[in-house]
Amino acid sequence: MNNSRLFKLQAGPLLRYLVPILLIYSFTVLVPLVLSFYYSLQNESVTQFVGLQNYMALVKDSDFWFSFKNNIIIAVICVIGQIGIAFVISSFFMTNMLRMASLHRIAIFLPVVLAPVVTGYLWSMIYNYRLGILNWFLNLFNMEPVLWLDNPDYVLYTVSVPLVWQYIGLYFIIFLAGMQNISKDVLEACEIDGANWYKKTVFVIFPLLRNVMTVALTLCITGTLKVFDHIYVMTGGGPGRSSMVMAQYAYNNAFTMSRLGYGSAISIGMLILCAIIVLVMFKWIGGEERG
Amino acid sequence: MKKSTTPIGMLLQVVVNIVVLLFTLSALFPIVWMVYTSVKSNPDFSLNTISLPTSPTLENYANAFEIGNIGSAIFSSLLNTVIPVPIIILFSFIIGYFFSRIEFRGKKLLMVLFLAGMMIPIHALLVPLFVQFKWFGMLDNRFTLILPYIAFHLPVAIFLFDSFIKGISREIEEAAYIDGSSFDNTMFRVIFPICLPIMSTVAILSILGTWNEFSFALVLNKSSDLFTLPIWLTFFSGQHTTDYTGKIAGLVITSLPIIVMYLFFSNKIMSGMTAGAVKG
Repeated sequence: MNNSRLFKLQAGPLLRYLVPILLIYSFTVLVPLVLSFYYSLQNESVTQFVGLQNYMALVKDSDFWFSFKNNIIIAVICVIGQIGIAFVISSFFMTNMLRMASLHRIAIFLPVVLAPVVTGYLWSMIYNYRLGILNWFLNLFNMEPVLWLDNPDYVLYTVSVPLVWQYIGLYFIIFLAGMQNISKDVLEACEIDGANWYKKTVFVIFPLLRNVMTVALTLCITGTLKVFDHIYVMTGGGPGRSSMVMAQYAYNNAFTMSRLGYGSAISIGMLILCAIIVLVMFKWIGGEERG
Repeated sequence: MKKSTTPIGMLLQVVVNIVVLLFTLSALFPIVWMVYTSVKSNPDFSLNTISLPTSPTLENYANAFEIGNIGSAIFSSLLNTVIPVPIIILFSFIIGYFFSRIEFRGKKLLMVLFLAGMMIPIHALLVPLFVQFKWFGMLDNRFTLILPYIAFHLPVAIFLFDSFIKGISREIEEAAYIDGSSFDNTMFRVIFPICLPIMSTVAILSILGTWNEFSFALVLNKSSDLFTLPIWLTFFSGQHTTDYTGKIAGLVITSLPIIVMYLFFSNKIMSGMTAGAVKG
């Protein structure tokens, strides 16, 4: 029997397997995506075609851009907090000085598997004004309790902390796996050459992790641009609009205010902005590589 | 372990250990606090937020079942995990097998379509899926969430299977065909069992994803007897705003199965969640 026939698609398997699965996938992912675009061209109650009117409104909608700005701020905090800290910890793991490394590894990754809703509620308890852990500590030092989640001045930072807390472990494990993939010869060679931990990390490990770093950055940024569960649970975008993010804004429009057309337009706007940011990022990283 | 003999080396070693230990504690403490607070009574909790329970009580758990009716939420969560996960495994194995082994026209396009499912922010589908399901009369049903849960987890699972099957020698199938094995038989009886390691990875990742899923469960099911655990939590804390320990017991009930699974399969979960990232 020859190979090319062996691994060619026959009509039977095609109809039995490929078509049904593809239908289910299309019905729940592809059709809605097209529908989303269609609805974004309709009026509020989806009864009339209004062309690009929703998009015109979206471009002028200061609330939408405000939530986009919030998303960007959260993304910056998460890139520094998650990727930065995770990189430092994982480079500590490469020093061979650490005791009980595998226990630390398991503990640091644990929050990653929690439901975002659980993390959100857990942290809103930690932030609780009267009974929260943080204010309990402040009280210990005779300091005034703080309204962690109700002050527009810093609510954006306080809602970012649980995100950082939950996902440090993910990037930590990604970096650790990447670092363990680096050839032992390289690391030994630079130790023989007398490089200390700092030099080894900055000049040898970091450049060799470029690809892993790119993936981590992409994951982190796309992840924070679509953040929803944590915010919904902790503040719902409030107080006022001070911790509003794009996904929450789309949800509010579509489901609280029943503006399905505009809600769809926000979703599409979100998709486009995410795509632009990822493309710009790839371009930027790619350009640096050549330079 | 490398022994440092110089004083600076020893100091460095102490510093590294302390810093990492602090991180470990900060990751663990909120979870440990959650678990022991769930067996405190509300007055006990108001008295001291952080102290260990003086007289442990299961009252919060009893309330969650009797007053909060969390039993129905546990059932919904189980149902929405137990039904989709085997189907995800089966479907993604089939598609992964087709992608890695069979040459056919339109394969590239198909791969792009599944890849798109991985790239798009899934919340962009929230509004349109709601409208579509409403149109088909599929909202507020026991089985409403099954289809989306299957579809959303397919892309990652497919690519895990695809890269795993690529590593299996084609000679196995050639031998099977020569022995007269049919296409179906080869796929399910010969290749499927070999995929056991990646199957368990897909299973664990899908369980995590479906059990923890929030936004679609929030939007697609509105009647309280269909709530999954994450939705039940928001509902309960809306109804009983001051029952802090009750809410925390709910958090524990929601997370405990996941944490137990994690303790058994931590390496599998870590490698599964980072597999794509490190290869890419």
